[in-house]
Amino acid sequence: MKLSMSPRVKRSILCWLLLLPLVVVILFPFGVMFVTALRPRDELFVFPPTWAFSRFVWTNITEMWEKVNFGTALLNSIYVSVSSTLLALLFGIPAAYALSRFRFPGKGLYRQFLLVTQMMSPIVLVLGLFRLMVVFGLVNSPNSLVFTYAAFNLAFTIWMLQSYFNTIPHELEEAAWIDGASAFVSITRIFLPLAVPAMVVTAIFTFINSWNEFVLALTMLRESDSYTLPVMVFAQVAGRYQIEWHHVMAATLMATVPVAVVFSWLQRYLIRGMALGAVK
Amino acid sequence: MRALLKSPALWMILPSFALTMFVIGYPILDLAWTSLQEVSRFGKLLGFAGTMNYGELVGDQLFIDSLVRTGIWTACVVTGAIVISLPVALILNEDFIGRGVARIIIMLPWSISLTMTAVVWRWALNGRAGLFNATFMNLGWMQEPVEWLATAQLGFTVEIMVGILVSIPFTTTIFLGGLSSMPQDVYEAAYVDGASRWQQFRHITLPLLKPFMNIAIVLNVIYVFNSFPIIWVMTEGGPANGTDILVTYLYKLAFRFGQLGKASAISLAMFFILFAFTLLYVWLVMRGEGETGADSDEPAPEEEGAPA
Amino acid sequence: MTYQFKRATVAAVAALGMLGFAAAASAKTEVRFVVAEYSSYSGKHYEEVAAAFEKQNPDIDVKVEVVPWNTLLQRLTTDIAGGTAPDISIIGTRWLLDFAAQGVAEPIDGYLTPEFKGTFIDTFMTPSVIDGKTMGLPVAASARAMMVNLDLFEKAGAKVPTNWDELYAAAQKISKLKDTFGFGLQGKEIETDAYFYYALWTHGGDIFGKDGKSGLNSPEALEAATLYKKMIDEGLTQPSPTNYNREDVFNLFKQGKVGMVFTFPMLIPQVKAEAPNLKYQVLPFPAKRAKATYGVTDTLMMFSTSKVKKEAWKFIEFAFKDEWRTQFDHGEGFLPVTKNVAAEDFYKTDPDISAFAAGLPYAKFAPTVENWEEIADTTVQALQKIYLGQQAPKAALDEAAAKIDKIRGK
Repeated sequence: MKLSMSPRVKRSILCWLLLLPLVVVILFPFGVMFVTALRPRDELFVFPPTWAFSRFVWTNITEMWEKVNFGTALLNSIYVSVSSTLLALLFGIPAAYALSRFRFPGKGLYRQFLLVTQMMSPIVLVLGLFRLMVVFGLVNSPNSLVFTYAAFNLAFTIWMLQSYFNTIPHELEEAAWIDGASAFVSITRIFLPLAVPAMVVTAIFTFINSWNEFVLALTMLRESDSYTLPVMVFAQVAGRYQIEWHHVMAATLMATVPVAVVFSWLQRYLIRGMALGAVK
Repeated sequence: MRALLKSPALWMILPSFALTMFVIGYPILDLAWTSLQEVSRFGKLLGFAGTMNYGELVGDQLFIDSLVRTGIWTACVVTGAIVISLPVALILNEDFIGRGVARIIIMLPWSISLTMTAVVWRWALNGRAGLFNATFMNLGWMQEPVEWLATAQLGFTVEIMVGILVSIPFTTTIFLGGLSSMPQDVYEAAYVDGASRWQQFRHITLPLLKPFMNIAIVLNVIYVFNSFPIIWVMTEGGPANGTDILVTYLYKLAFRFGQLGKASAISLAMFFILFAFTLLYVWLVMRGEGETGADSDEPAPEEEGAPA
Repeated sequence: MTYQFKRATVAAVAALGMLGFAAAASAKTEVRFVVAEYSSYSGKHYEEVAAAFEKQNPDIDVKVEVVPWNTLLQRLTTDIAGGTAPDISIIGTRWLLDFAAQGVAEPIDGYLTPEFKGTFIDTFMTPSVIDGKTMGLPVAASARAMMVNLDLFEKAGAKVPTNWDELYAAAQKISKLKDTFGFGLQGKEIETDAYFYYALWTHGGDIFGKDGKSGLNSPEALEAATLYKKMIDEGLTQPSPTNYNREDVFNLFKQGKVGMVFTFPMLIPQVKAEAPNLKYQVLPFPAKRAKATYGVTDTLMMFSTSKVKKEAWKFIEFAFKDEWRTQFDHGEGFLPVTKNVAAEDFYKTDPDISAFAAGLPYAKFAPTVENWEEIADTTVQALQKIYLGQQAPKAALDEAAAKIDKIRGK
């Protein structure tokens, strides 16, 4: 009999035990999603409800996919999230660079302005935003979301990037200047590659926020062909005479899986990015 | 002024400034203007109304109740999220087997949209068709199914719990970031001095986490105060308006009852409440920290990758 | 002003005009049609109708925009406020007066030929007539009725009720069975007020009295609310009705846990698919002083801002052809709004559908009044307070009636 456990094993058991309640609560809705999504339709309303069911009905997913036009919604979501992320970076990087490298009047003011922009929730602004998009003819266009999401995420992007840029020593760029490189070259060749980790982090943030946003998408998108995933799922439960729960849960499951995968792959960067005094 | 115009900084800031002014600034002005007007059922401006819309708010009991409830909602969710996330982050910062998996699981709620989370919870909490009650009854923890969302009090409590749950990933990430940026040598020195783990936590970790704590509080307050989907999907502010917070009340006024003028007034009121809170908080933090408050103009002192 | 400048201006204007002309000549006329989503079938159906229509009318492009019911009013509100209203839309008839009063809805009398008007069942046409003008066409209709679980009645030895006293007695018997409740009562979200109107009407009351004031403080309303509350307190309904929206109550029925629910025809196909072994019967609402059912119609409305009214109307006439209507009514499980479809054998012989349709001669419709959503919400809040026991029925109803009268300026 082996009595001694290594301290690491002991610590691991303790840590997992402490985390267990939270882990269970977090995994619970995923479990519910899973067992509802794959259940035969006539076993949805048994009493008492059970976790177990007679057989896996994978066709629920394929049926749902066709019925609610899942593929289109998925593509829309990807388009909107990727574009708004790129746009936020494109506008955020120069601003963060300026805030990090130059002294100029109104610098503190600009940072505060960014914080103020964070205080408006989309739902509060939705009417004004809608009128704005009408003026530009962007209603029902996913691009209206691209601009809005990018704008709402700019503040966070700029703070994070600036904090990270602050940690990159000036000397590197200056050395390049001395070597005769132009400012532009020194920034793009030397500086930006160093800043990639921070860009990844801010990209994840913007991507996730855009992927999950609901209220604006609901207001701006008028046709099921331009729906993003959250709106599409909501449309399945909103005031119909019939809610097909197995399809709703199948859609939720399918909408969650890609992000969860990307997320687990990238989460280490997220924490590392935060570690850089990110959002101070 | 001319120097400013020549400064490359201006041109680098301009695009981001233009975009935010455009997408966020314009609607705010539009709202402010609308809130001073009499507005028709479908948003046509009928004429200047002065402060009529604001006057209506003061006399509206539902608005006052929602305001109070928004305060409770924000305070409870943010406190709950911080109280849970701090120990979770401390555990996740330990070196243990399966830490990567644990981190992924804790972050998982972040990857579903709030709307979907709320839809799933609502389905799971259903009194007689939901798996939550069924599971508890199977385990013998419950005799009768509980109708979680039937009364305002219980429903609101459940919503706060869900609110806390979805705020944990973001908050934990901030804390984890803070923890992994801690300078190791301070701990080593403390260890040499014979400080207990509690003392280390109390006198080193907590003070160093303070800036991260502040940012977690400010951002969470802003997000939670404005959060709409959880309450809307789970109870629509009911029963009997018992779970209405400002955003849900605002939504009903604007899009169900067509009182767009009053709704704009609420929007603006919410903006100023948050604005006042942030100013107050920043002021308190500054005052508390005195001259140690990190000047945002200074580059942050930390360097990447503390000694492994 | 110099001659040159003038000439340049003229040229520019002419060029612009040509551009405009060219654009008009090459582009198809677009008709935007907002379809409310009853089920996943609704969008598909109208896409199909639009495609067939476009084939016959290659110069018209019908854009179908499918919108979920819960967000339809928000969608239209933002659209109208933003100046991007569609040309035609399906709306709840209960909103029609708001649209008409604000000049958003276009009166269609000028377009409606007598033949076309003659295809509709008159009962369904009346709710869309406001101040003598026809503001829209009925596009979907349902009537409500009671659905009972025959197995439970048999097990409990109860008799299928025809009036409220019998319903109460049957509920008592059924509720004695384990984990089973006599009467399913809806207590939250859309149509919570309707579930109460069923009782209000059959007790002889009405939503608005003859003087136009709220009927919620009438003795009949009090009687109806007191009965519901009594049944909740005695455990004859499922516990905590305020946790059950329309769909949740119907789910209980599918689970075989309640003996009686008040419902719509669209539930039948669901029960057949999800609870194939359930033995049910469709019956009229229990009556006390009056027979009643709730007739619900939705309206197809044309917007006054539309620039393509002629084309839109052409599409409307096309979409109401028998072949499309019969597809739509069968697909959604609605009652027919046109005479020809109603004449089909199915609607006379099918026991379920004909039981729903039987109530139509004495059907009540939601009153077309301004601010209906707010009035309905006030009613729901009062009912929830009663069901929860936060307020006595009389106090809650009186308060709601006063508030509704204030909303209506009476």
